[in-house]
Amino acid sequence: MEDSSPSFLARHEFLIRRLHSLSGLIPVGAYMVVHLLVNASVLESPATFQKNVYQIHSLGSLLPLVEWTFIFIPILFHAIIGVVIVMGGIPNTGNYPYAANRRYTLQRVTGMIAFFFIAIHVFHMHGWFHADIWLEKVVRPLGGAEFHPYAAASSAGLALQNYVMVVIYLIGVLACVFHLANGIWTMGITWGVWISPKAQRRASNVCAVFGVLLAIVGVGALFGMRAEGSGEKLIEAREVETKMYDHKLESGELVPNPHKRGEGHEGQSEETAQVTVQE
Amino acid sequence: MIADAIPTSKKPSSFEVRVLRQDAPGEPSYWERHQITYEPNLNVISVLQKIAALATTSDGKKTTPVAWDCNCLEEVCGACTMLVNGRVRQSCSALVDKLLEENPEGIELRPMSKFPVLRDLVVDRSRMFRTLEKIKGWIPVDGYGDRGPGPRESQENQEVRYPLSECMTCGCCLDACPQFAKVELFQRSDESDAEFGERKNRAYDQAFIGAAAISQAMLFNDHPTGHMNADERLEALSAPGGLQVCGNAQNCVAVCPKNIPLTTSIARAGRQLTWYMFRKFFDR
Repeated sequence: MEDSSPSFLARHEFLIRRLHSLSGLIPVGAYMVVHLLVNASVLESPATFQKNVYQIHSLGSLLPLVEWTFIFIPILFHAIIGVVIVMGGIPNTGNYPYAANRRYTLQRVTGMIAFFFIAIHVFHMHGWFHADIWLEKVVRPLGGAEFHPYAAASSAGLALQNYVMVVIYLIGVLACVFHLANGIWTMGITWGVWISPKAQRRASNVCAVFGVLLAIVGVGALFGMRAEGSGEKLIEAREVETKMYDHKLESGELVPNPHKRGEGHEGQSEETAQVTVQE
Repeated sequence: MIADAIPTSKKPSSFEVRVLRQDAPGEPSYWERHQITYEPNLNVISVLQKIAALATTSDGKKTTPVAWDCNCLEEVCGACTMLVNGRVRQSCSALVDKLLEENPEGIELRPMSKFPVLRDLVVDRSRMFRTLEKIKGWIPVDGYGDRGPGPRESQENQEVRYPLSECMTCGCCLDACPQFAKVELFQRSDESDAEFGERKNRAYDQAFIGAAAISQAMLFNDHPTGHMNADERLEALSAPGGLQVCGNAQNCVAVCPKNIPLTTSIARAGRQLTWYMFRKFFDR
């Protein structure tokens, strides 16, 4: 801090912090809401969830571009700047145990949890990168890349059978939900939307209700998905997914894609392997 | 006679005061214990006076008097601000009877944690005055000719501004702020006072400006004449170390001894800056 000229981060601190604030809601927060709602559609039926996944994948070769522009780059930006912000803080809830101060600390704790959880989650479901060698030699032996978009509910359900994973997901999802709900509240102060203490209290009530509702959606999605991964439900899910896949192949809407279907690699449970054989 | 806070039966004959001492800037700090004879209606300043008079630690060793700052003794100057039992406040309004009620073990005194310690409980808060310079916390009315009367101030505006004007630059809001970090520099042997001062100001200008200065910027931006320089203050508030560093922990407003609506000022500064940035970006 002493004599060096201010760093790039310092010189553009205002703009970067405002972009950090904005990116938390648009697109990262908005994406998370859509993501949890789509996942929760599995509670309706695995077919509904599969239909939604096909809809997302109907973007075809545009999907990676959309994902990088609206999801990965904003999340990486929000996460990296977020870590810088966390490093600059000196939490002091011990001496000043006020509610807003606790939320300040929690916002940072949940942010860090979200950072690691999202990294684990993207590895666990997607394997980070799609290069074959990487997937075969590194990701699958470590139990990653479990999600197969053309066998959506069953593959996600199978991936969530492990208790440790369920606990990680539960903590991760709740941390993300708190971080978004509280982040919307602080964002309103940062941009000057709610100003008076009364207005801020009303806003925090609205954010709390939003957070609780989103938490219900998120936890519902998690356990709904998990339920599709075992017993009768798994067999039913596999059946309907096969039917939908075959139908799309027949109509020419899809070309066969064993990758997205999750065929032809090890690491599937015996149960899935059996269903695969039946096809 | 004033009713005592502690019933006679519970009154201790004496109580312990732990003071975090430091002999000079940059020196290591150390704890010292003092046993003080109880009297009703003491405040922390009178305890410090007793400690200075005794100049003896609780284990009977002679010691130098503890140094501290104080001035008005009625919570309007901010000079005697320190950490009493871990929380930042004015020691003149910290009443011993109440403190012992909360914590019968004794009283713990530390210097403010976010400012350089000069000696014992005396700190250097010049960074706060630097932040007031940074945000131009004044009304510029100097000129050669008579410019006539200024714009009138409405009663409504006056009522908004008056609480902000009560700030005594005590630094409670900054000491309790989790985003406000201590900046302490030491003069080099080859450095003149002026050079050191400049280096210090540069460091202060990079670090967080804090709630007090943000609120003062709002006080002067709302003044009918001060409003004419509003953009300059907003420019200062969006410079490195400006408003954007705020993390909305809202400790500032919770610890402010003058009950200044600091978080309201912070949110209003946020709104002014939002519009200012739009104007700056699209009007150029």
